[in-house]
Amino acid sequence: MSEQSFLDHSHQRGFLECQIGSLLAALEHASRAERLAQAPGLLQRFDPRVRLIAMLVLIGLVVSTHSLTTLYGLLAAAALMAFVSRVPLTILARGIWLNVLLFTGALALPAIFLVPGDSVFHVPLLGWAMTMQGLESAAFLVGRALTAATFAGLTILATPWPHLLKALRTLGVPAVMVVILCMTYRYIFLLLQSALDMFEARRSRQVGRLTGAEKRHMLVANAGVLLSKSLHLADEVYLAMQSRGYRGEQHALLEFRMAPLDWTALAVLLAITSVAFRFQAWGLG
Amino acid sequence: MHIPDGYLSPATCAATYAATLPFLAVALHKVKQQLHTRMVPLLAVFSAFSFVVMMFNLPLPGGTTGHAVGLGIVAVVLGPWAGMLAISIALLIQALFFGDGGISTLGANCLNMGVIGIGVAWLLYRAIAANASVDSPRRVVAAALAGYVAINVAALAASVEFGVQPLWFHTDAGVPLYAPYPLEIAIPAMLIGHLGLAGIAEAVVSGGLVSWLQRAEPELLQSMAAAASSDANTDADTDSPSASVDWSPMRKLLGLLGVLMVLAPLGQLASGTAWGEWGAEDFADPQKRDEIAAASRNDPLPAGTPEGLKQLGTLWNAPIPDYEIPFLPRTVGYAFSAMLGGGLTLLLWLGFGWVLGGRRRRSSPG
Amino acid sequence: MTVPAFELRDVEYRYQGVIALAGLSLVIPQGKRVVLLGANGSGKSTLLRLLDALYFPAAGQVLAFGEALDARRMANEDACFAFRRRVGFVFQNPDMQLFNASVFDELAFGPLQLHWPAERIRQQVETTLESMGLAHLRNRAPHRLSGGEKKRVALASVLILDPEVLLLDEPTASLDPESESQLIDTLIDWGGGAKTIVMATHDLDIVEDVADICVVMQQGRVIAQGTPGEILGDEELLGRTGLIHAHRHRHSHSGGAAHRHHHLHHGTRSTMPGATSKLVWRPLPRRKPEDA
Repeated sequence: MSEQSFLDHSHQRGFLECQIGSLLAALEHASRAERLAQAPGLLQRFDPRVRLIAMLVLIGLVVSTHSLTTLYGLLAAAALMAFVSRVPLTILARGIWLNVLLFTGALALPAIFLVPGDSVFHVPLLGWAMTMQGLESAAFLVGRALTAATFAGLTILATPWPHLLKALRTLGVPAVMVVILCMTYRYIFLLLQSALDMFEARRSRQVGRLTGAEKRHMLVANAGVLLSKSLHLADEVYLAMQSRGYRGEQHALLEFRMAPLDWTALAVLLAITSVAFRFQAWGLG
Repeated sequence: MHIPDGYLSPATCAATYAATLPFLAVALHKVKQQLHTRMVPLLAVFSAFSFVVMMFNLPLPGGTTGHAVGLGIVAVVLGPWAGMLAISIALLIQALFFGDGGISTLGANCLNMGVIGIGVAWLLYRAIAANASVDSPRRVVAAALAGYVAINVAALAASVEFGVQPLWFHTDAGVPLYAPYPLEIAIPAMLIGHLGLAGIAEAVVSGGLVSWLQRAEPELLQSMAAAASSDANTDADTDSPSASVDWSPMRKLLGLLGVLMVLAPLGQLASGTAWGEWGAEDFADPQKRDEIAAASRNDPLPAGTPEGLKQLGTLWNAPIPDYEIPFLPRTVGYAFSAMLGGGLTLLLWLGFGWVLGGRRRRSSPG
Repeated sequence: MTVPAFELRDVEYRYQGVIALAGLSLVIPQGKRVVLLGANGSGKSTLLRLLDALYFPAAGQVLAFGEALDARRMANEDACFAFRRRVGFVFQNPDMQLFNASVFDELAFGPLQLHWPAERIRQQVETTLESMGLAHLRNRAPHRLSGGEKKRVALASVLILDPEVLLLDEPTASLDPESESQLIDTLIDWGGGAKTIVMATHDLDIVEDVADICVVMQQGRVIAQGTPGEILGDEELLGRTGLIHAHRHRHSHSGGAAHRHHHLHHGTRSTMPGATSKLVWRPLPRRKPEDA
């Protein structure tokens, strides 16, 4: 993925290495998340529904605030949350912040000069005017992207994915969607692994350099094999579902229970939200 | 193309969620009628497939690489409704688990790629492939073109969403609160990348995969061809999701979207700048006017109607009493023109289809 | 005498225009362990799918517990649930059978579909996880399981319904020797040995341990049937059906000279680790799960 994401962007030289690298990054992200979800941190103890709701509320706050102080305060809170949830800061820094800064940071940079307003500094020689408005708008964009990604990333890193998908049920997502999402999540890894195997097999036989056309041809052929495999997989999975009594009904067993800790978390969340909005209403920051 | 959190204002996020959800609701309703078939695993596996294909780095001429979303192939295999769901599911998983695309902006991403992208891809593929035989090269060309155009229309939609941000959402001092680049920067910046790199990647993948299907799974394309040649295929038991496409809810929803696109700018015109931070009274204050001018890249406020709206303007002049277009920055005019134009095109196209469809129904009784 | 678990009469089945089963007749008595032997494409998998009412015959009849097994019967919810409860199917490729996002969900899927009460499902899932030695994998995602673990989870997801009949398609394919012997032990002990098992395989190694009855299939027909001793003793039959094969190899005892002859190996699986016969005998090339 060339865009902003939680995945590592280690840029490999070779074409096959590059394909393998990006597939491996996705698998590694998944296994890291699974490991951290088992860690005995604070965030891990909340009911998955509370974590999901908190994430949505906080991201909503990040997106709607007009105050840089609130925005960066939330970022600090997110970092603190990571600390008490035993999510190492290096993972946040390398897995999330670096990626956001590389993408959104680069994207926001020209805005410093392009947004019209009161100039605060002229770049020597070029004569470009850095504006106050430009700086602030870059700070908003980067701050929002950073903070929202941190909250989203923290939730994912601290929650087993199937739990998070099932928690969507409480937000009114229909059962059939939750079932499909769980199944999609499961088969992403099978298809990732298949794709990885194809590229690895090709790499072991590859001598010499591929031309652009050969690379495209090979990539499309691999995607084709994956497509046929997917169609076949859908047929077989349907049989396997029928064999265990599937008749078109969707069920998802929720195994969540709200504990006092969860209600406390919700209360704290409510407090943070109202304080943030008060702050804005007073025109502070 | 995957818009991250923080680029779009809450109002834009809410609007795009509101525009997307009816489509997904209808899609889900359609899918629920096929739950007794292999629909559930097919959707799941296909969402996973499109997710994995989005990770391939396709080498393009000139030493660059591009990513395909798989709009063309998903539309061809799943049809519009299931296709919308599959892309939206892939986008949800990308946003939740891989941070690729934001959560507040998920509605916008689903609208651009899922609803608009899949819709355009399906329409184009259907129009071009029409009655071509299953192994015809025309199907490959149709899929490639469908993918190319679809990804570009999706990118255009995204760039309009970006581009209106600095105009509508900024502080009193002119600090853009979200994506800072106006339409005249956002649109070219997005389209150059997509007309070139991402579009070609999409065309190669979509065309290539349809050509693969012609060789490996011709029976799948067969059911597609059957669906494309008869609009009134109501075989409820059919296993192919694309074989039983009912168009009427799609038409209604697209009609609604068209009306909204036309009404949104009109509403803006009627109420000053409803979503902007400028109050209507600001326009009367000469000092504030200078601020607004400063916020509009120091363009002097246009004295007359901006070019883009000049012709359209006469259309709306009469029905809207407090027509404040002279006070609006030029780019807002462009945004409105773009939305008006898009909405009108959509409505015209639907009306055209309705007239044609009516004639066909009358000419073929039974 | 009790009714047989399954009875097939002149069953014909076509898969994409190709005949997969051609006039097959077979009786599977209750409480017996039946092994279906045959090379790839002999129709074993298709037969199992017919027995599980996933496919229905184009001609002929399948009876399950004395009643006709057809699309009409399975369309009735009660009859369908009753059948699904009595008959479980372990697919060859666990990746296709494990379609849930975690081991817990995988086990809960069958009971949920059959409308068991939530509390009973939770209990039963925990008990089954415990008894199959899978408790530590409870929240694990299927893609993080080893091949042997996947197979065990697939088996557990079927056994949780406590079926009377268990259908297995190549259960030992792509398992390492230890997982294989664990799996066989589980099957033999299951239900005190009183349950009906129908297992398709071309792994002759496991036949004698498991089978009461051997059925040899070729080109969609049953061509021989008997006790494991009878069938495994008939080298000509096994050669003709592609279950054993002549191949070149070196014997250490013959000074490294290569020669060509038939190989038959059975009954030495666990008693002679590293024996010459174990080293030289190779099962037929197995289909990779991906090609299945």
